[in-house]
Amino acid sequence: MNSLFSGKYTWLHSINPSLKLLTILGLFILAINIHYLNFMVGFSCVILTLFIFGTGYSYKQLLLLSLPFLFVFLSTSSSMILFGKGETILFKWAYIQISEESLIRGIHLGFRALSFAILGLIFALTTKPVMLFYSLMQQLKLPPKFAYSFMAAIRLIPIMIEEYQIIINAQRVRGIEQKNHLLKKIERLAIPLLSQSIRRAYRIAVSMEAKRFQSNRKRTFYYEVGFSRNDLIFLCYFFVLIGLAYLLSNHYPFLPNTDVRYLSD
Amino acid sequence: MQKGLKLTDILVTIVISIAFGILYKIWGPLYYAVKPFGLHIDQLIYGMWFMAATVAFLIIRKPGVALLAEIAASSGEFLMGSEFGLEVLLYGLIQGLFAEFILFAFRYKRFDLFIISLAALGSCAGSLIMDFYKGYIGDLSTWNLTLFIVFRIIGSILFTGLFAVSIAKALEATGVTNLVRSSSKKDHEALDQ
Repeated sequence: MNSLFSGKYTWLHSINPSLKLLTILGLFILAINIHYLNFMVGFSCVILTLFIFGTGYSYKQLLLLSLPFLFVFLSTSSSMILFGKGETILFKWAYIQISEESLIRGIHLGFRALSFAILGLIFALTTKPVMLFYSLMQQLKLPPKFAYSFMAAIRLIPIMIEEYQIIINAQRVRGIEQKNHLLKKIERLAIPLLSQSIRRAYRIAVSMEAKRFQSNRKRTFYYEVGFSRNDLIFLCYFFVLIGLAYLLSNHYPFLPNTDVRYLSD
Repeated sequence: MQKGLKLTDILVTIVISIAFGILYKIWGPLYYAVKPFGLHIDQLIYGMWFMAATVAFLIIRKPGVALLAEIAASSGEFLMGSEFGLEVLLYGLIQGLFAEFILFAFRYKRFDLFIISLAALGSCAGSLIMDFYKGYIGDLSTWNLTLFIVFRIIGSILFTGLFAVSIAKALEATGVTNLVRSSSKKDHEALDQ
């Protein structure tokens, strides 16, 4: 999580988490409705720029974080490129059939997956989970029993990881490892991990109920999360640049500008 | 008996789901590692992503648990910086809703393998709808698309059905499920005597 890499505190950190989440959801819905490659590339560039210059991490850290993206890009686009429908055949070998349409569609899908991945990472890198849940309670009226349960559960992640190590080591000491197939191995890890987690969660829940965390009366909050001018800048950034990308992609397309969906007529 | 989910139910569901969220996060790179072979072998392990819903439901056995579990697992994965980014949240929501709907159709009264596998198929259908819309999978050539769907269905039943039921059985044997399941009518009658 955020503790893995620590970056500078930037204006992106100060944006209201609920607003950030809703904006990113909006961008997601916009992105799955983009069917033209030029606009998709422009859209990805807008997001990539924010990722590189806005998140406050060093280039080395960003590079390290982006390595899986290349993989995401290739693997998402490859099956569509190799097996997609299309008429203008470029290459054909056994079951593999690369057509111009499937090539463009594959690249389009690659850019789409890439922009989703970066959007998600921008959010994860610049948002503290605690602040997110406080903001969800205050701005979006999420019931406190859900929000506090989430926060308590997130706090348990390091304990679970530690426990996972202990279980692995204990099983190694007793000589049970590596011999069985994958499912058996997962089960052997999952049962102690889950049963311990359930016990711990139950104990925490009982003590939280005893402290009246469940009550529905009006609560006060330790952290008050509000809005600032940066929220406006954040919204404007996307409105202006994505609008610009849309105009540029329509007037100066540098790639074939056709609908990437397969239209049989 | 109190209606709806108590704080205990919510917290236990979320903790189970976060544990699965960690698993999903480890699962993601594996999925991408087998994906580029193109023949959709990755789809055989896709079913793992629906497991949180059925496992949590089998443990707590209350309405709403399956949906909450999928949402919690996907948000856990999202907050840890998944390589899938935001789409996990929406996929989680849809998959949870579809599984929940199947369980609702049977009034949350049956916990056998058949119903759980049906719920798995529900999640599977939900994910396929998302893929048709987002991944243009409808534009794959027909044999490839069939392979894709068949593999995903097999994976769903294997992981979300069979494997989830066997995990739940093993957890019942440890006794932890007694902590969180609401006391049944039989228990109350036993007290009256």
